[in-house]
Amino acid sequence: MAWLQGSILGHAMRESGVWTYGVVNLAHILGVASLFGSIVVLDLRLLGLWRTVPLPSIVGPTVPVATFGFCTAVLSGICLLATNATEYIGNPFLLVKFPAIAVGMVNVLVASSLPSWKAIGRRELLPGEHRQLAVTGGISFAAWLTAVSAGRMIGYW
Amino acid sequence: MRIPATVATMAAALMLWGVPTTAHHGWAGNGDEEFELTGVVEQAVSLAGPHATMKIKAQGQVWDITLAPPARTERAGLTANVIPVGATVTVHGHRNRDAKRYEVKTERVTWNNKTFNVYPDRS
Repeated sequence: MAWLQGSILGHAMRESGVWTYGVVNLAHILGVASLFGSIVVLDLRLLGLWRTVPLPSIVGPTVPVATFGFCTAVLSGICLLATNATEYIGNPFLLVKFPAIAVGMVNVLVASSLPSWKAIGRRELLPGEHRQLAVTGGISFAAWLTAVSAGRMIGYW
Repeated sequence: MRIPATVATMAAALMLWGVPTTAHHGWAGNGDEEFELTGVVEQAVSLAGPHATMKIKAQGQVWDITLAPPARTERAGLTANVIPVGATVTVHGHRNRDAKRYEVKTERVTWNNKTFNVYPDRS
């Protein structure tokens, strides 16, 4: 944390004008909103909502928006953290948020390597495959909800 | 559907009615009583976010002085090099509720007969 705070990035965040933190914070919120807003739609579809909408029609738009949102949130988040990194040592919400993000990322890697995921749009899924994708959707929903909630609470500790 | 919508609107209106304004987050963690502290500047004003900060030494402790957001602190005239390290300042605000934390959410800083009022609407 001390290293991050002392990095060029940390200095730049602190010394490049009074609006820098606010603007980077805005980018973080837009990233989180894009990620969460799109992943929730996909997760709920995998969990069985809106069954009349074909899965590829949901996967198509939500995955790139979520990916864009995730990358934006990570990059801006590192900048926000670098501003005052040592302040966050011992913040319990951070210790909830980061593992939740890790669970979410591992879930993406696992889910996207599943044969059932790769079969989306190529053939009809079997009932067992639907259940398998529903499980990944549930894990995803729980992980990102936890990450966003804990993240919002960091500043209130 | 019309009746629930009307009820919801009324409920929303009721919740917005007559609520005292509270500025941003953070004040809840600080005491309601006014708090004043005089000390020597240990670390000059920093306009890094999310709040501007400075450190002062008083009563044998180094205190974290939390100011307004950077742009607001700057508008109050309090920028990085205005008050030199080693100067004696008086800060007025609200102390952290946790007695082990030496932190003051600050409304105004007085130095050299000049007052920097970073939260003028909080008296």
